Amino acid sequence: MSTDHSQLVAQSSASASGTPDSGLAPTPGPQIPADVSKRPPGPWVVLWKKFSRNPYAMSGLIVLLVFIIAGILAPKLTKFDPAAIDLMFPNLKPGAEGHLLGTDELGRDVFTRLLYSARISLMIGFSVALASVAIGSVIGAISGYFGGWVDTVFMRIVDVMNSVPSLFLNILFMAIFGSQIKYMILILALTSWMSIARLVRGTFLQLREMQYVEAAKAIGVSSWGIIFRHLLRNASFPIIVNATLMVGGAILSESALSYLGLGVQAPKASWGVMLSNAQEFMLVDPMQAVYPGLCILLVVLAVNFIGDGIRDALDPRQQVTKSRRRLEKWRKNYSKSGN
Amino acid sequence: MTEYLIRRVLQSVLVIFLITLLTFLLIHAAPGGPTKVMLSPGLSPEVLEQQAKNLGLDKPIPVQYVHWIGDLLQGDLGYTFKNHIAVSDLLWPRIANTFILMGAAWLVSLVISIPWGIYNSTKVYGLSDQTASFISYLGFAMPTFWFGILLQQWLSIKLDWFPLSDMHSRGHEGDIGDLFMHLVLPVTVLALGFLASYMKYARSSMLEVLDQDYIRTARAKGVQERKVVFRHALRNALIPIITILGLDLPILVAGATLTENVFNWPGMGRWFVEMANSREYSALMSITIVIAVMVVIGNLVADILYAVVDPRVKLGKQGGKAA
Repeated sequence: MSTDHSQLVAQSSASASGTPDSGLAPTPGPQIPADVSKRPPGPWVVLWKKFSRNPYAMSGLIVLLVFIIAGILAPKLTKFDPAAIDLMFPNLKPGAEGHLLGTDELGRDVFTRLLYSARISLMIGFSVALASVAIGSVIGAISGYFGGWVDTVFMRIVDVMNSVPSLFLNILFMAIFGSQIKYMILILALTSWMSIARLVRGTFLQLREMQYVEAAKAIGVSSWGIIFRHLLRNASFPIIVNATLMVGGAILSESALSYLGLGVQAPKASWGVMLSNAQEFMLVDPMQAVYPGLCILLVVLAVNFIGDGIRDALDPRQQVTKSRRRLEKWRKNYSKSGN
Repeated sequence: MTEYLIRRVLQSVLVIFLITLLTFLLIHAAPGGPTKVMLSPGLSPEVLEQQAKNLGLDKPIPVQYVHWIGDLLQGDLGYTFKNHIAVSDLLWPRIANTFILMGAAWLVSLVISIPWGIYNSTKVYGLSDQTASFISYLGFAMPTFWFGILLQQWLSIKLDWFPLSDMHSRGHEGDIGDLFMHLVLPVTVLALGFLASYMKYARSSMLEVLDQDYIRTARAKGVQERKVVFRHALRNALIPIITILGLDLPILVAGATLTENVFNWPGMGRWFVEMANSREYSALMSITIVIAVMVVIGNLVADILYAVVDPRVKLGKQGGKAA
């Protein structure tokens, strides 16, 4: 999706440099013969350039990639089974009997369980973000584009969803539907699409009166065509920022639910499950509680850094902050010399 | 103003109504529905039917809903299936316990975060500001229950400074000093979460105001920096902060689910999880409604507060629509 999209955006920005996506760009027409070597970089390239200059964002990206690769390659990286109980060797110290981080109270290899938890947590995190982007964009698009009573109804639903703390809603839903991973993804998405819907709706309210929308309407583009091809694309960057931050939130929610015993269930490994085990056996082996929490912290921090990095890269006000910093410095010096 | 008030109140009532409808439908959409779960297994069909009749489960769903709403409006929150105890008898003491915990955490975090945030806004990117933003990042990314477990291990098991969990030591119920010792760890955990967001709000709100023209004017007139910050900027910066605090009011009774579970605090959140694990649907429904009502009232109060505090907000037809 991203490559296809970037090409389209690059094309349109090349054909009508300066003006936003004209809506007519993909149709073959009198295109400005663009000198390829002088073509201004597309928005994705600019984004990446700014993003890669941000040390926090880049280290976040690296950490996240490490976790993703570790999750994918989990069966290759360890010879143990995450659920295999070995009562001969409970609570081993790190390094003993080939267990890199030791074993838990049932003799399960801690390192292996951490790896498989990464798998589940990241899978849930990304699926939830994708699902809530899907739900949120559709609802936000419909209510922003059509307005009227549809908008009122959807926005009341958003109000309702926002008026119960999401952890409570998650617990309630999990209790009703049972603790299966597919339900958990659905439930977490159902309790977190609201911010995306608000954002998309806001963008649509701003843009639906634009001339290029009118032009698209005039040449007979259907409502759905306008929504998906011309309007939603303009909200894509803020959606990406929001979705990135949502991954972190979803991972936190997943571990919280699993910790409470309502999420991923015991034989399966999840950082939350591991923490709740670790708390029970705190007196025996205090280190068991450290690793899973550290993993959650690292992944969520990484994702948040990436999200903030993208936002900063997109934010034209970034320069303002810099000049403000200079101003502050100047003011400090000035006031010192003044007094 | 009156018109706006009426509109907002009506809107809130509508939202609460929708919440009750949604919760009710959800419970009835559950696989098996309440009928299966509410009734004891292993009974003969005749007894089952009788029980269903006693609980009113044989009636059509709309009728059941109306009955339920009627009971709710009279303050009857239903009974637990297990021991047939009135939910309201169990609910209010737990709300009080949560309120003690959250209130303490809230106060602590306010006292620290607001002044700190304001100070940081005057020294952007200084050492204190960097520290604060580091703490904020930690507060947002750290799973609260993990922080709680770590504190337990370090301060309670290893150093034995504070009790591990619960609200009172056995035989010390009502002892304020004992309660205080039990409060320290959970309050620390909760305060970190609050701190992270309030500090950010205070700082950014102040920064926004400090960027305004009238601040520049004040400075240009030669007003002392201290006066600029406290007299000109702070007053206006407090408006959004107050709104945020209003929006957070309901968290005082609802926000500590994880911390309560870690520290075995006998509050709302832990009870909710207990009820969820034993599938006590009527208790779950009532708790959800009670929390939702508090949240809606909190939002309402925040909105009204905002209008009262900020003279620039003119509420009329336009104001109502924007909400």
